[in-house]
Amino acid sequence: MPEQQEISLSILKKRWLKFKTLKRGYYSFVLLLMLYGLSWFLPILINNRALMVSYEDELYFPVISGYYSGSEFDQDVPGEAAYRQLQASWKQADSDNWLIMPPYPYSPFEDITVKGNKMYDPPSRQHWLGTDNTGRDVFSRLCYAFNISISFALVLTILNYIIGVIIGGSMGYFGGKFDLFFQRIIEIWSSLPMLFVIIIISSIIRPSFFILIFIYTIVNWIGMTYLMRAEFYREKSKDYVAAALSMGQTNFKVMFKHILPNSMVPIITYFPFAVVGGISALVGLDYLGFGMPPPTPSWGQMLDVGLQNISKWWMVFAPVSAQFVTLIMVVFIGEAVREAFDPKVYSRLR
Amino acid sequence: MTTYFIRRILLMIPTFLGSTILIFTILQMAPGGPLERTIQQLQAGAMQAGEAVGSVGDIMGGGSSVLPESALRELKRFYGFDKPVHQRYLTWLGVWPREIKHREVEFHNGALEAQKNVGRGTYMTLRLKGDQVEVLDKDGIVSKLWKAAIDEEGSKENVILTTIFQTEFSGILTGNLGTSYTYDQPVTEVMAPRFKISVFFGLTGLMLSYIVCIPLGIRKALNHGSAFDFLSSVTIFIAYSIPGFALGGVLLVLFGGGTFWDVFPLGGFRSPTEVWESLSLWGQIKDQLWHAVLPIIAWSIGSFAGLTILMKNSLLENISQDYIRTAFAKGLQEKRVVWVHAIRNSVIPIASGIGGVIGVVIAGSYLIEKVFNIDGFGKMGFEAILDRDYPITLGFLVIVVMIRLVANILSDIALASVDPRIRFK
Repeated sequence: MPEQQEISLSILKKRWLKFKTLKRGYYSFVLLLMLYGLSWFLPILINNRALMVSYEDELYFPVISGYYSGSEFDQDVPGEAAYRQLQASWKQADSDNWLIMPPYPYSPFEDITVKGNKMYDPPSRQHWLGTDNTGRDVFSRLCYAFNISISFALVLTILNYIIGVIIGGSMGYFGGKFDLFFQRIIEIWSSLPMLFVIIIISSIIRPSFFILIFIYTIVNWIGMTYLMRAEFYREKSKDYVAAALSMGQTNFKVMFKHILPNSMVPIITYFPFAVVGGISALVGLDYLGFGMPPPTPSWGQMLDVGLQNISKWWMVFAPVSAQFVTLIMVVFIGEAVREAFDPKVYSRLR
Repeated sequence: MTTYFIRRILLMIPTFLGSTILIFTILQMAPGGPLERTIQQLQAGAMQAGEAVGSVGDIMGGGSSVLPESALRELKRFYGFDKPVHQRYLTWLGVWPREIKHREVEFHNGALEAQKNVGRGTYMTLRLKGDQVEVLDKDGIVSKLWKAAIDEEGSKENVILTTIFQTEFSGILTGNLGTSYTYDQPVTEVMAPRFKISVFFGLTGLMLSYIVCIPLGIRKALNHGSAFDFLSSVTIFIAYSIPGFALGGVLLVLFGGGTFWDVFPLGGFRSPTEVWESLSLWGQIKDQLWHAVLPIIAWSIGSFAGLTILMKNSLLENISQDYIRTAFAKGLQEKRVVWVHAIRNSVIPIASGIGGVIGVVIAGSYLIEKVFNIDGFGKMGFEAILDRDYPITLGFLVIVVMIRLVANILSDIALASVDPRIRFK
């Protein structure tokens, strides 16, 4: 019978089906997932190292094996081989040597020291989004920065969640002095302007990816902790918790096996918005020069350079649009997730 | 209720102390502070002059130093690094006497008395008594104004170094935020004009977003699901997805750069002083607005999405309540039900949020101030961190923390006064 079939669906599955019907959010989710997956393969998609070189009947794979000096291919350049020029010269000479370049043959780090690169090159067939103040390709940097931004926001959010669930959960579950103590700490912590504290810390230690995440977690765990505290506090007084405790379950098991699954709704619905916060924060920090160490590609750093050269419009538009498109996809996902997990039905009377 | 708020206000004190201790410790412990920076600068100057080169470590160690020891001591004293951290903190608060008008006095070869001119021909006699130093005035009476102490670090085998100084209580509790290292002005004087600029932008932006968001939210709620609702939602999502400073950058390129339209200035709070003063009153108003349009758009975009959605959801929630059903059942007009019954209850969350919004807005957004090159409060704080100007950094943070704490309480008071159901205990 159809009713039975509906009953057998788990709540999570129902929510997933509901989420799939929300086209805007669902397609954003699929697209973003694909793009992020793809962004891990950027070294073979967007790079200035050839995927494969056949030189005098020998095969080389510079993308995988790394550095080859130009002299190895009988090319007269200082340092690393310039594969784009190599390709062109071999083609011209109609030689038997050949090489395959990645689809977009510019690396995010090669600047004017590489022959043929120009500063402030406007968008063209070669450089889709032009080049920046040191001759680096804007599109290439944009793509690499996408991967870094999303990874940063994801790792940051997950870390915050772990801390939030452990501390906030304990605060709500145990209450008492522990709760009071952490409440004071949170109050002190939240009265500080956080971005400033990060800037102070980052001006002391030059951050790397993980140090930056660590610093940001130190200042950012409060939001999730507060959310989880309220959630655990509410759930604690429910009958199923009393039942579990009366059967002799340990506090640990009650917290993580019984209460946590029942507090999943705020955790999941808040997730995309936490990611939005993470991405924006990284852009802001990079813009101020306190984010990733240079020359890491980052939207914030690109925006900073762009605003210093305001007549070169592509250097401002490119990072802002990239950030905007990414964020709006995440926001769409967030909105759809909220709709699926925590639907609010507004009945309009009359 | 009153007792609740009194308790809340009293609780501000430990929170304030806690956060200032935290900030103070982080700043004081940080390497590369103002002392090291000054030493480095002096050393760089010495290097340019072709003098002996020593690393910073050497200088700090006092070995083959470029800086004479007394100058180093003087610097340490100036930045307060000759005292332990807790004493520095308490001095900064104003509850530990601050030593002022330092003068060094040396005792040579076991001498027990020394004379020191402390200004205007007044001589004081210092007398060693064990590890204490007594200060006597010209009549041989122990001076109340002047004190003296032995400087352990500066003392050598045959020379005992002492300092003579006056003390006073002056710190943030007495309204003294210190003197800026970079501007060479009292911190409060540096802050005042910049604070005004930030408040101008903050309040204008705040008012603007309320004027736009509340009617928009109401309209969206009343037409929930319509084309208007959908289109405005898209706009809101767009607004939510662009951080204010990034939007500011795009606006600058579009309207200020010259590549597209050259409509607005590239930044600044108003025209340079020479131009500003030559303008008539009407000209000044126009000039001010001309400079303010873009920053204010960037400023208000941040609260735009949140406020509108809050208003919409709050009204939607109220409209589906039973009392609205009752109002309709009584036969009231829809207009009256919505505007008199529903909306009054829907503005409660917005009214209560005002404290938080004020806190965020007034503290200034240094990202936006940096984009538009506005000499505001936030930018000042940011630059103070870069320059290791600790008096300004600390003063800035103190004010931000105070604003936040007060704003939180204001929020609760606002909530309690609009919503009669709320009783704080």
